[in-house]
Amino acid sequence: MIGFILRRLLQLLPVLLIASTGIWAMIYAVPGSPVGTIVGENATPEQIQAAIVRLGLDQPMAVQYWSWLRNALVGDFGLSIQNREPVLDLIVHRIPATIQLGLAATVIGLLLGVPVAVISALKPGSWLDRWLSGWSALALGVPTFWLGILLILLFSVYLRWLPSASTYVSIWESPWQALRNVLLPALTLGVYVSGIFARFLRASLLGELKADYVRTARSKGLPERDVIGRHVMRNALLPFVTIVGLMMATFIGGTVVTEAVFTYPGLGRLLIQAISTRDYPLIQGCILFILVVFVLINLAVDVLYAYIDPRIDYG
Amino acid sequence: MTPILQRSADVLRRLVRRKGAMLGLLFLGLLIFSTSLARWILPFDALTQDFSAILQGPSRVHWFGTDELGRDILARVVYGARTSLITAGGAVAIAAVVGVPIGLLAGFFGGWRDTLLMRFVDVLLSLPGILFAMALIAVLGRSQMAALVAVGISGIPSFARITRAQVLSLRKRDFVIAVEALGGSASYNMFKTVLPNSWSPILVQVVILSSVAILIEASLAFLGVGIPPPTPSWGEMLRTGKTFLYDSPTYAVLPGLVLTFTILSLDTIGRALASVLADRHEIVADTEPAVGSRP
Repeated sequence: MIGFILRRLLQLLPVLLIASTGIWAMIYAVPGSPVGTIVGENATPEQIQAAIVRLGLDQPMAVQYWSWLRNALVGDFGLSIQNREPVLDLIVHRIPATIQLGLAATVIGLLLGVPVAVISALKPGSWLDRWLSGWSALALGVPTFWLGILLILLFSVYLRWLPSASTYVSIWESPWQALRNVLLPALTLGVYVSGIFARFLRASLLGELKADYVRTARSKGLPERDVIGRHVMRNALLPFVTIVGLMMATFIGGTVVTEAVFTYPGLGRLLIQAISTRDYPLIQGCILFILVVFVLINLAVDVLYAYIDPRIDYG
Repeated sequence: MTPILQRSADVLRRLVRRKGAMLGLLFLGLLIFSTSLARWILPFDALTQDFSAILQGPSRVHWFGTDELGRDILARVVYGARTSLITAGGAVAIAAVVGVPIGLLAGFFGGWRDTLLMRFVDVLLSLPGILFAMALIAVLGRSQMAALVAVGISGIPSFARITRAQVLSLRKRDFVIAVEALGGSASYNMFKTVLPNSWSPILVQVVILSSVAILIEASLAFLGVGIPPPTPSWGEMLRTGKTFLYDSPTYAVLPGLVLTFTILSLDTIGRALASVLADRHEIVADTEPAVGSRP
């Protein structure tokens, strides 16, 4: 098991190395030079020269890359150009908000998606199955930002039940306020993932229902409820764990659009703000951070999958 | 009729027999028709401002109402379709032109070439499409070209993977082995034998990826990093419309409705096409887009 994890970690190294090189190099591909953004438009030549020396931009490329990578490895992405705070602090500060939104969306996605999948898998081809499949297609196709706008119109503009702009309130400090603020963005994302969950679990259930052990269980007179609940569900949920994990991984960076709709202060919004102010250290830090977390969650899902499915050989 | 025309006609016939695909084709047809003839069939253009009529709701004159500068929203939606379709078309073309050869080479030769090419694809795949696009736009600046290239590059992995999977399954088939045994060169085998038999899954991917590309382009514009104004773009309209939800709710709702119909149409056509081609035994299984490829 340990060997399996280590081997997978080693396989990640080239991916991370190439990606980090790309992220590092992007600052040199910017038209003009990043120094201009840092010192401001009215800088004197002396100030520009001082900034170049201070940032190490007079060093050879290889030296610059090595020092950037060494710092990034210990989480030092430098200072944000915009407000002179360490990039890592800004990122860490936003993590709880993004995690809270991601978890809430996953819960809603499961609550909506699992029943849809189970009901339609039990009666494949029926009118109910067709309607529910249509619903999944709709959930997958509707752009999240448009759905978010519709929800704001309904719940904030007309009914006035919920705030149209969400702030982050920790669920531990004030559960009611946290719920009020996270409900609409989480519903927006949750509807979308429920489509993925429903479609995937339905296919997985239908696959299992064809298996021999189901025929055996039925022929020995086991009630249908037990056939589904005790045998089919367990096996169908196995690959499903992978999908749920994958979605949670994409939520780390993939909530950008939803966060923008509700002006929710998560990681995605930090990245958008960084891009619009051309705050390159912050852009690099955000993207590298999201990438690493995304890759690590994927690894964790693989490991978990190998752990719960004894058929997978990780020797 | 040539065999290829006959085949396409048969696929099309089976496609329009499905209700969902038929509706999707009709909607896309209407969209393409109106956006190409917009100059002659619309009473307004997308840029003329009229400050005596700002933020109006739908009326007989302005079917979709007007925006904050008094521009006709329907006209902006119709011209916005052009932006959307051109960006998506260009992006899918880039993704296919780069992705298909990668999948072809990787699947055909295997070995270290396969490992190297697919590792490159994995790196691309390791970042969600929209983040990659945003990073690229941070470097290139906001423009239609930047959005097109960014969305195109993030679509490369899906073409590479689909093509590779198809090539791997064809590689074991007798007719491919026969060409090899008869001394056909690798390039002859790849381009004259394997590739012509790989078009079906690639075609399905073109349709599915068009929908993803339209969505990503609109998302970028919604985030304010897409195609810069005043070029009409659906995402940009939703972005501005969202700030006027109290004054003019239809401003954000109607362009979003057209965007949603477009995406649903392409999705439905893609799924129907996959199932039609599977009926004709041209592709193995249904081709779903990679999970998490959407913003």
